[in-house]
Amino acid sequence: MTFSDVLLQQVINGVSLGAMYALLALGFTMVYGIIELINFTHFSVFMVGSFIAMAVLLAVGLSGQSVILTGLPLVAVLLLALVVTMLATGTLGVVIERTALRPLRNVPGTAAMITTIGLAYILTNLVLLLVGAQQENYPNPLPNLTWHLGGATVHLREVLVWVVAAVLMLGLQLFVHHTKLGKAMQATAQDAEAARMMGVDVDRVVLTAFFLGSALAGAAGLIFGLYYNVVDFQIGYTAGLRAFTAAVLGGIGNIPGAMLGGLLIGLIESVGGQLIAVRWTDVIIFSILVLVLVFRPTGLLGRSLAQRS
Amino acid sequence: MSGDSYQGYHRFLIATVGVGLVAGLVATAGPVPAQAAAKSVSIGITLPLTGADADGATRIKCGAQMAIDEANKMGGVGGYKLKTVILNNATATAGAYDPAQAATNAKKLVADPSVVANVGPEMSGDGKAMSPILSQGDLATITPASTNPDITDPRYAGQYRPAGKPVYFRTVTTDKYQGPNMANYMRDTLKVKTVYILDDSGAYGVGMANLFEAQAKKIGMTVLGHDELNPKEADYTTILTKIKGMHPDAIYYGGVAQAGVKLAKQAYETVPKMVKAGGDGMFTGDLLKGAGFPASEGWYVTNASPHLTENPKLADWVKKFSKMCGGRTPSDYSVTAYDGAKVIIAAIKKVADSGAKVTRAAVHDAIASSKVDTFQGPVAFDGNGDILQKTIAVFQVAHNKQYPDDDVIHQFKYLGDAPEAPSS
Repeated sequence: MTFSDVLLQQVINGVSLGAMYALLALGFTMVYGIIELINFTHFSVFMVGSFIAMAVLLAVGLSGQSVILTGLPLVAVLLLALVVTMLATGTLGVVIERTALRPLRNVPGTAAMITTIGLAYILTNLVLLLVGAQQENYPNPLPNLTWHLGGATVHLREVLVWVVAAVLMLGLQLFVHHTKLGKAMQATAQDAEAARMMGVDVDRVVLTAFFLGSALAGAAGLIFGLYYNVVDFQIGYTAGLRAFTAAVLGGIGNIPGAMLGGLLIGLIESVGGQLIAVRWTDVIIFSILVLVLVFRPTGLLGRSLAQRS
Repeated sequence: MSGDSYQGYHRFLIATVGVGLVAGLVATAGPVPAQAAAKSVSIGITLPLTGADADGATRIKCGAQMAIDEANKMGGVGGYKLKTVILNNATATAGAYDPAQAATNAKKLVADPSVVANVGPEMSGDGKAMSPILSQGDLATITPASTNPDITDPRYAGQYRPAGKPVYFRTVTTDKYQGPNMANYMRDTLKVKTVYILDDSGAYGVGMANLFEAQAKKIGMTVLGHDELNPKEADYTTILTKIKGMHPDAIYYGGVAQAGVKLAKQAYETVPKMVKAGGDGMFTGDLLKGAGFPASEGWYVTNASPHLTENPKLADWVKKFSKMCGGRTPSDYSVTAYDGAKVIIAAIKKVADSGAKVTRAAVHDAIASSKVDTFQGPVAFDGNGDILQKTIAVFQVAHNKQYPDDDVIHQFKYLGDAPEAPSS
């Protein structure tokens, strides 16, 4: 492998990482854009999603990497896992909003944010109690297909990450810009009070944002499991923190910003690790974040979804 | 008040209260059962029993527990019944061993007057946190697994044994031998010329990786780089891709299973054919279970004690062990834990037989001067608490489908002992 091949390989790695961060960052950014709440429960919903997807894969008879599927059965199994997981985590997000956060909606200060931190711990520890703390060997039916791009290798799992992330993000964009509910979301983000006066059901909009954000986190949980093949109850922490950073980097509240931020963080992580050292990953990421925020306090793309000033 | 009359008064008081109590008990509850009169002392066991290292820790716990149970079955030790105080060194926040929790546990042990000695910890990070506290409490511990040499190194005595006496005894040797001996083995037997080194940024992992690196350079291997993994991070493909681009013959990893499992998994994807080696932190069922097969296949690991679990002498012991440990097979550190508990039991016996009171200080001194026959041969310690034998055994993961995937005896194949590096 020449140096340029290695660099290309790192870009491939970085885009895959970035796609997962972006999916996660969308949940942070949508909720923040609409109710200006930083929802730390999102970290845990992602982790729960990974375990729900694992349960689905185990339920259809997969375990470890011993069962390899191809063709239609593979697509069917992955779609089933994806749909069940997204519905389950989406519902979890709705339940969290409805029971724990809505009563605090109009409470000033940080009560709601602190509540999300508490909920994150509750979810994490529930999983700890239910499945234990050991690292789980994730069921993975993907065949070992590879393609060569110059000297770099692209695996099927990477293509899967890209396709799932691209389709979901495209779907989200279409939803936000071309459906009534999506437009209501935009309106609420711009001015909740005015939107309410225009007849927008704000509660429903908030629930939708939680459902969509959590569903995307669930999808990220599934592809995380298939990509790394090992999960434990703590995976939400590092990935969640990076995704949150991505949302801030792109401009929290801004949907394309979250996608851009996610991709950038993924690329910084892999290319930075290549050129400097992986032990400096966090230093590099957060230095860039600080620099960006010094010159553009609203992040790279500002807050176009929520343009309140 | 003179000492004599004070003690006299005291004895009178105790006698009066004692007679009163016994009389009261006889009056209300009939004869006192003989059991209640039996004296007892406690032995602590401190291990990360939950989290990423739980499997290895449980096997160690069973080893110590077995020796203690056997002593009790034989009627106790010198008139004392042995109890255990088992404390978990792992926390949910760390997801694995947690030195802060280990320090808290050390304080708990010191505060419990019945505890006369301890078995543990498994992890050197925990050992560094516990050793100063145990030193000040005059409570000796025997570690069956933690191998970082700093803890017993006289250069750091002020830090790890502020009270002066060695307090941290080992039934395994240290990474002064484990890292360097493996470097020798990799050069001589595996014909490795270039190596990339990784560690998991923990006390044990960094120490062992550094000692390996020093020896590798000394014996003419080329070290292409040394980087640190964040054990909570999920993605190691970046570093593995970087390593792939450098084409080393081997990767050496100093660290425990938490990062190791993920490393094994992703290394199998990125650099399947490269030689991969680690230390005793990777010699665990956690690797076999978490990374599974084929990802863990081919990994070389070492153990800082002689390989005994397949020794025919221990066949019965292995069977008994599995029965009391929920079907788990023993690891070699189950044996060193068993041996460690044996050393403590022998020390308690020695003190009790001499007629002295079984106190922490007395047991501590008896351990320091012990010479006990165990499975690994006679155990004796040098002036710092380190065991005199210095064997490093080398193993390789080789999938044996006849046995369960997490069977540490049958999935790790013993290859021999690593050639000893001259101590520095």
